[in-house]
Amino acid sequence: MAIAERAVASPRAVLLKLWGYVLVIGLALVFVFPFIVMLTTAFKVSSDIFSAPPQLWPHTWTLDNFAAALTELPFWRYLGNTVLIAVLSVLGTLVASPLVAYSLAKLHWPGRNLLFITVLATMMLPPQVTLIPIYMMWNGLGATNSYIPLVVPAFLGTPFFIFLIRQFLIQVPNELIEAAKMDGGSELFIYWDIVLPIARPALVTSAVFQFVWTWTDFLNPLIYLNDDDHYTLSVGLYSFLGEHGVQWGPLMAACVLFTLPAVVIFIIGQRYFIGGVAAGALK
Amino acid sequence: MRLATPGRKNGWALFKGLAFASPFIIGFLVLYAWPILASGYYSLADFSLFKPPRFIGLANYQRMLGDAKFWKSLYNTLFFTCIGVPVDITLSLIGAHILNMKLRGQALWRALVYLPSIVPAVAAGFLWRWLLNSQYGFVDEIARSLHLPQPAWLADPLWGSIAVVVVLMWTVGGTMLIYHAALKDVPHELYEAAELDGASHWRRFLDITWPMVSPVTLFQIIVLMIAFLQVFTQPFVLSKDPGLATQSAVGPGDSMLSYSIYLFQNAFTFLKMGYASAMAWVLLIVTLAITLLLLWSAKKWVFYGNR
Amino acid sequence: MHTLSARGALKSALGVAAAVALTVGLAGNAYAQTQITFSYLWGGAEGKALEEIIADFNASQKDIVVKGVSSPDMTKQLASMSSAKGAFDISDNFASNIASWANQGILLPLNDYKIDVSDFPDNVMKQLTVNGQLFSVPIASHNFQLIYNKKLLDATGVKPPTTTAELADAIKKLTKVDASGNVTQLGLGLTDVAAGLKTIGYAFGGDWNRGDKPTPTDAKFVKGLQFYYDNVVAPVTPAAYNKFVAGFGPYMSDQDSFATGKMAMVIDGEWRSKFNTQAGMNWGVVPMPGETPALLGSTWVDVSTIFIPTNSPNKEAAATFMKYLISPPAMEKFSHVLGNLPARLSLTKSAVYNDLPNFTVWLEALNNPNTHGLPPSLYMSEYNTDLASAFDQMLQGLQTPQAAMQSVADRVASYQQ
Repeated sequence: MAIAERAVASPRAVLLKLWGYVLVIGLALVFVFPFIVMLTTAFKVSSDIFSAPPQLWPHTWTLDNFAAALTELPFWRYLGNTVLIAVLSVLGTLVASPLVAYSLAKLHWPGRNLLFITVLATMMLPPQVTLIPIYMMWNGLGATNSYIPLVVPAFLGTPFFIFLIRQFLIQVPNELIEAAKMDGGSELFIYWDIVLPIARPALVTSAVFQFVWTWTDFLNPLIYLNDDDHYTLSVGLYSFLGEHGVQWGPLMAACVLFTLPAVVIFIIGQRYFIGGVAAGALK
Repeated sequence: MRLATPGRKNGWALFKGLAFASPFIIGFLVLYAWPILASGYYSLADFSLFKPPRFIGLANYQRMLGDAKFWKSLYNTLFFTCIGVPVDITLSLIGAHILNMKLRGQALWRALVYLPSIVPAVAAGFLWRWLLNSQYGFVDEIARSLHLPQPAWLADPLWGSIAVVVVLMWTVGGTMLIYHAALKDVPHELYEAAELDGASHWRRFLDITWPMVSPVTLFQIIVLMIAFLQVFTQPFVLSKDPGLATQSAVGPGDSMLSYSIYLFQNAFTFLKMGYASAMAWVLLIVTLAITLLLLWSAKKWVFYGNR
Repeated sequence: MHTLSARGALKSALGVAAAVALTVGLAGNAYAQTQITFSYLWGGAEGKALEEIIADFNASQKDIVVKGVSSPDMTKQLASMSSAKGAFDISDNFASNIASWANQGILLPLNDYKIDVSDFPDNVMKQLTVNGQLFSVPIASHNFQLIYNKKLLDATGVKPPTTTAELADAIKKLTKVDASGNVTQLGLGLTDVAAGLKTIGYAFGGDWNRGDKPTPTDAKFVKGLQFYYDNVVAPVTPAAYNKFVAGFGPYMSDQDSFATGKMAMVIDGEWRSKFNTQAGMNWGVVPMPGETPALLGSTWVDVSTIFIPTNSPNKEAAATFMKYLISPPAMEKFSHVLGNLPARLSLTKSAVYNDLPNFTVWLEALNNPNTHGLPPSLYMSEYNTDLASAFDQMLQGLQTPQAAMQSVADRVASYQQ
């Protein structure tokens, strides 16, 4: 583009830009509006919540809902439980999935393609098919009402992450590996010291995704955790509903508390999330 | 496979490959292969968690054919999928174009658009239940101020299913960002050439953008389709009538009864695990069939590269 | 193993003796106090009331410490009972599930504990005994009668109805619709749809479970359903009815539909006595009107029961606690605090309920022959779910009551019986 054209913004260009901002703000608003409702409702008193027609802004601000949510709901315990499971799951993923991805991307062995197809196929499997037998298995092993069924699968590799990391590793130039081999490095050494550091972006993406998935998982804690000492936030929130015959104020406050940590992690790890989302689908 | 060196080297390569892949090999056998076979067997049996399975042949599948609720749940789920997936793709493409406009604060817009996707589904379900309430909810209030019809989302059977789709659409941010990245990969020269030829915006989209992102579209359609066929949490929470411990329909007229919810009910409430396993297998077959159909149709409309 | 020297043998012997002493000491301590977990479906204020009873028990003796856990989800209850080691020792549920669960082998048979059940009504015990074996004990019973908002009735000059014909008339007078066709007040409403419709069915002499078999198409039962549809839903149109109902505030909160005057009359249970009064309402209750005077007070009994799962880690202690819970003083306190009916016949005359206005209407129903009990049935869970769907179809105007019930009848063949 000619420099002369860029120096002066034509009125049309300005209008277009303005229109662009209108659109993007409108877009963002549609997505963010429910959050705003959740937040403002959490601070409202009951009469404000149940005003018809509904008013967005509270007339009276109150922290009572949060107090109710925190006292009625063992929030910190549930939070701790959820963090524990999430961290362990992330650990499992970081240990197992790159190993398998490496075997699919950089090692040459008979059956490699078969395994890759298997990974792809399992990604498409509806979990409902395996739900009941897996439940029976854990039941038989006496592992229900514990975190074992929720955490162990991560240590056995997750197809989606294996796929993601493998796609990334394929692009790692082989020269580095060849060089290390010629220096007499063992496969494990190459994996640990050379490949893993390069794969860091994919690993971070996997870690962040795994964290959010585990954080928000509902069905698995629902069927495997029976003791309210062990509940995660998802199930705890769901029980809260039953226990309190729904008071919307405390319920929204509880939702805010539940969502907050995920939002914080997201804001911190934004780059990896959004990068990973795109990378996963495009590559 | 041609061996440049003696078989020993190949054996070593095999060992290394298997060793590194061992977590998944074990995982596959324990968490996929065996359960798939077991659930296939269970689907041919009558059993609950507390009694040993009793082989009954195809009786579960026969029962399914005559089970009105089964068909209802299948219908609902196909409704969610067949409406939800195209709407998702459309909204995402539109949103991606908006995000692509050279505006400042890209990181902020992207974050806001993706934020709903990380809200735990349980919280989202409760939140939307509140938003869609006919009397106290904001959705109808906004519709009222825009002079649009205000349906009784949670009371009308037709709108009940649509409500589920609306909640699912709240999380299109992910797809939107994927398209956003994909659009960036489309070479500018193509657009410039088209502009020179006098092509309209719409023409440019149809002839350039759509074919160029079609691989992404295919992938997304398959991924979304699989996810929507399994949807559980959102309709489950959306339909929960608070304050009542007794049974109620799942959504008005059972319009929110997704396939997974009915499966779950059969397994864990009615303790009919054989029947639930049969349902799971049907879901597997339906998913496979649709996936294969999509992959086959891909030849017609997916355009790989600009070669 | 190596050969033992004399010193080595002595050392070993001392070691063993010490180990035995330690074990006995520890075990001794363990038997001093057994901790058991009581997981209950109640929550909120009712849960707190229950905790009071638990505290009373813990204070009354030193051997057992009961830990109460509020866990309102029945699915989780079942999941826990399926594990090898149970998450709780004793829990509660409704009588309708007892037979099915006993059949699955997940309830502890109670005959050996020699619990005296003479004070409980027969129609209640019928549901809890399978093939002569007791599986659960009742802690509270519930029945449903016609509750009305005195203020609204007086304002319209309507008298509390005594027959269904009068009821129809009252509904007509008390249903209000605004200019745009939106409902502003329902003459008669239902907070628990299934419970209310079943009651109306009985009021017409019908029975959804006649002769201990599922009978959804029972002619008089369908007549009762048709009554509700014709008098409540049809006049305002199903769309307006459902829109109105969907906008109700949470049950028994300060936005409760009955307390805020959204319905002039409601078919509901005895726990409303406490709630309505606390809400400051001017209200009354009459026995459920029947099609004929002979059918006055037709209703059914729902029973809250206590059971011990077979995978309970501490069965003996759980049984001791169970006996305490159903003892007259504990049951009296519990039912009074929750505003529920006591399961014991001897307690129906107790003066402690005098502070619950109009409670006698429900109390007296316990002795009324028109109060129906339910048999132990294996299919209740599924039947109730199917009925719920069918009722919904009917109220949405998608199917006539006859057609909706027929669709349930079509599914009956697959029930376990």
